[in-house]
Amino acid sequence: MSTSQAITAGWMEIPTSAVHEEARRRAEDAAIAALVDQYAGALYRVAYSVLRNATDAEDAVQEAFLRVLRHRDTLDEVRDHRVWLIRIVWNIALDRKRRAKTRPETDDVSELARVLPSTGLSAEELAAASQHHARVLKCVEQLPAKEREVLLLSAFEELTSVEIAAVLDITESSVRSRLFRARNLMAELLDHNRNLR
Amino acid sequence: MNTNPHHATSPESGPNPGLNSGLNSGEDTLRLIAGLAAPAGLEERVHETLRAAQRESRGGGRVLVLPARFRAKSALESNWMRAAAAAAIVFVVVGGGWGVYSRVQPGPAGKGLVMPQIMPSPGGISGAGAIRVPQTIPGPTLKQHAGKADAAKKTSPVQHPANAPTPQPAVSQ
Repeated sequence: MSTSQAITAGWMEIPTSAVHEEARRRAEDAAIAALVDQYAGALYRVAYSVLRNATDAEDAVQEAFLRVLRHRDTLDEVRDHRVWLIRIVWNIALDRKRRAKTRPETDDVSELARVLPSTGLSAEELAAASQHHARVLKCVEQLPAKEREVLLLSAFEELTSVEIAAVLDITESSVRSRLFRARNLMAELLDHNRNLR
Repeated sequence: MNTNPHHATSPESGPNPGLNSGLNSGEDTLRLIAGLAAPAGLEERVHETLRAAQRESRGGGRVLVLPARFRAKSALESNWMRAAAAAAIVFVVVGGGWGVYSRVQPGPAGKGLVMPQIMPSPGGISGAGAIRVPQTIPGPTLKQHAGKADAAKKTSPVQHPANAPTPQPAVSQ
């Protein structure tokens, strides 16, 4: 091989590290795609429980996966992907809710009437149910932040108290005590509302 | 509600039994919301967003893109190339500045200021060395008593106000 050929070959050669890098990228892309297929629905429900708006919840899910894409190098180090993803979307949803201006209560009622199941209900019953749910959610909003967060997450059947503790970065006993306080406060608020009517 | 032994809603952490009616309806609402189905096509939209983000991160959103063989293969190489580019830019700017400085030499500076001399034109009109003195502004005049003023008029000749002695303030006896 002449000198010029050797130089050209040096330029044309694809380094082995680049091949490995490309393969690794492909594997990471496939892993993220699998996470989307598996957990996008659950993340949407978590985001919706905080934001109570379909568009905002979907935006939160998309932002969560974009963050995953940005930190895909650390994907191998994550022990429980589900809790990790829920924690990401939970923080995004809380952050969005903090930044967003408070929506009027009528928005919550109409949104609930749109998304909640309405099979077998007349229009009047549906309106009454929506009003009731809106009242309950208003009481939830009156709870202290720590108790409210635990109560919202405890509504998810698939989350254990250990997982809730991991999402909120607190101990399991704190989860239990906060949930106890949240339920009592919630019941008092609802009874108070009922007596007022 | 939940058969999972690790679930947060265990019996011992239950609320006040007297308040159960309010509690159930509240948690039912939250559970209803938590069980909502995700909108159709959510996964596909997320996939599309991720694909767009990847295209952008791989140079799709850039104005100038280096050919693949010139791109840095690692962060270390990328840093080295950045440092080299920065050094080259500094070298060009400093070299250009030095080139201009070394070619353009400033002229010798004067040692003193030379005032132009005004030469009198022969046969012309000259000031004959006269110096213009500005007219003295007349000072303030004080009003005097009528009697004293009359006496002063009789005894002293008329004086220019500027040459008059400084009037003394009238002292009442």
